[in-house]
Amino acid sequence: MTIDTFVQVCIGGLLIGGLYALVAFGLSLIYGVVRVLNFAHGTLLAVSGTAASIMFAAWQLHPALIAVVLVPVVFAFGYGFYSILLQPLARRSPFEATVGTVLVTVGALLILSDLTAKFAGATQRNIPLRFHTIEVGNIVFSTTQLYILLGIAALSIAMHLMLKRTWFGRAIRAVTQDSIGAQLCGVRSERLKAMTFAFGSSAAAVAGVLYVMSFPVDPYMGFGLTVKAFTIIVVGGIGNLPGALIAGTLLGVAEGLTGLFWKPEWASAISVILLLLILVAFPAGFAKRRR
Amino acid sequence: MKISCLRFSAILGGICVALLATPAAATVGSCDDPITFGTTISETGPFSTLSDRWRKMTEAFADEINKSGGIMVKACNKRVPLKFVIYDDQSVPATAVALYQKMASVDKVDFFVGPDWSAIGGPVAPIADRHKIPMVMGNVATPSIYERGLKYVWGTPYPVVPRWSERYFEMLKHVTPKPHSIFFITHDNPVMKAITGYWSKKAEAQGIKVVGSETFSQELKDFTALISKVRAAKPDIIYISSFDGPSVPLVQQMRQLKVHASDIHHTMLTGSLFRQVGKDIEGMTGELSWYPGVKGDYGDLVERVMKESDVNMFDYIWTLGRLSSYLVMVQAIEKAGAIDREKVRAALYKGTFKAPAGDIVFDEHGFPNTGAFTIQMQNGAVKVVWPSDVATGKMIWPSPSWQ
Repeated sequence: MTIDTFVQVCIGGLLIGGLYALVAFGLSLIYGVVRVLNFAHGTLLAVSGTAASIMFAAWQLHPALIAVVLVPVVFAFGYGFYSILLQPLARRSPFEATVGTVLVTVGALLILSDLTAKFAGATQRNIPLRFHTIEVGNIVFSTTQLYILLGIAALSIAMHLMLKRTWFGRAIRAVTQDSIGAQLCGVRSERLKAMTFAFGSSAAAVAGVLYVMSFPVDPYMGFGLTVKAFTIIVVGGIGNLPGALIAGTLLGVAEGLTGLFWKPEWASAISVILLLLILVAFPAGFAKRRR
Repeated sequence: MKISCLRFSAILGGICVALLATPAAATVGSCDDPITFGTTISETGPFSTLSDRWRKMTEAFADEINKSGGIMVKACNKRVPLKFVIYDDQSVPATAVALYQKMASVDKVDFFVGPDWSAIGGPVAPIADRHKIPMVMGNVATPSIYERGLKYVWGTPYPVVPRWSERYFEMLKHVTPKPHSIFFITHDNPVMKAITGYWSKKAEAQGIKVVGSETFSQELKDFTALISKVRAAKPDIIYISSFDGPSVPLVQQMRQLKVHASDIHHTMLTGSLFRQVGKDIEGMTGELSWYPGVKGDYGDLVERVMKESDVNMFDYIWTLGRLSSYLVMVQAIEKAGAIDREKVRAALYKGTFKAPAGDIVFDEHGFPNTGAFTIQMQNGAVKVVWPSDVATGKMIWPSPSWQ
């Protein structure tokens, strides 16, 4: 194996790892604020990716424009989903609420997958955009990959700034740390939870558009992504964007290197192995939660 | 009061007895009722990409058969109409098992046809034996499923593993420059692994050195590592043994990472793959069980059925396997001359059955002898390039788009 091959594999790992991180961050934000394990989160990416692919095929829209169209739609969906289906469960006992949210989100996963398959077909779809490639020695990377990486970086910075510099971000962090304290300070906790759920869902929609530019999506792929996102959350820490980015990238590169040094069929399993190893070595994950 | 209670119990008991005694569906084997074929189709779930239009196609098949009155049954001295009982197995083996149980005991179908995919055919097949209902499966290509000593199970997958790439490797003997090396990339699936296992041995026997073999899981999206290994091995042929969907990112990334070879061969070169990878598919070779225009028995019927149901062979490459299961069962009933499961079973054991791509003969396990044509994507169109006597285009070798 040459250094070129190693670098090539790392570039691929960075790309897919960054996408995992975006998915995980939305999920992490939702769990941090709303305390709901949204099993349908990855499916939202799949549905958004499918919608993006259809829009691209129909109108040849630029992916950035597709994202601009999809984000408010998915935001509204997320807001409505939380307000109508999940919020009423909060009035139940903790056990019933937990079981109820699992049932509702797993049910949403199944229904969204089947509805998408029914109306858009179960066939995999992607956005077959091909920009030119750049070659440095034996390393080849496409400018599509470069744009996606830039997109991931820009989104991460934007989300980081939003969490640190805006009232909404501060309110999210306040509710994450102490929901009752935040309410006493004037944060309308229930509305904020709905907004956070919707925001996290929109992040999945953007990730879906970026994902479908490089990899195919199908209505049934969401659960696998959600599991990877759970791994990243556990490793990177709840509501921690840099932690999610590090963990996501680590996972993506680890998958690539598993394929290179071992066998590609084990690449998908590495997330679980990695999770176990890191939990043994760093029981609190990479980033300790501040309280 | 006691009397009314007794009367009520008697009436209730009578109703129960009557319900239990009354058949839920038509009498099996009757000349006065249509012959019912029970089947499931993966209309939803992961396999639905391969079969979501087959309900309409199945109904169109029944209409075509019934145009002439139905299936000729000698014992009835007339043609008996054909009727299908169709359920969606949702691509879930457990659902399929429950549905075949239901068709055997509640719907009381005469015969089973068509379950597809080894994942579903495997658990479903023993139900046929349990209820002694002959079953001709469609696209169940794993030989071990047939080698379990089942007495009521046959299958018509196209092509079967030992004949999958037979014509492709035959063609390789005639191309110039001759290929010397091959790299196998295999989707982690029983059928695809069986294909790689069988054809890697054949390649070696033919003097083509296997310079690498890698397996990938269905979930793998980043193929950079695998492609790096292929690039390092510099094979003349890259043989992708995979279902179409999981290999989409592989084909795209092979293009992006500028992989070179004389030929990229794909075991499932389909319309779905074409739509997803676009021009990246250019020059690749693959297999196709049959294509409209090739004259064979029932070819016109199959063409009409496909046209009526808007099914394209390149989009739904397993269509012939599915339709052949119907054709074989129809012929078996005609040969048996009776709507009798045991007589039909006997006919299936010893017959040669007609199909558009050639005669189907089963071995002692119910496994067929079906093959496929070699195709190549040329300027965005599918060309049959081998065997040369039925070719619609000339093989372009080495493929310029992969140089």
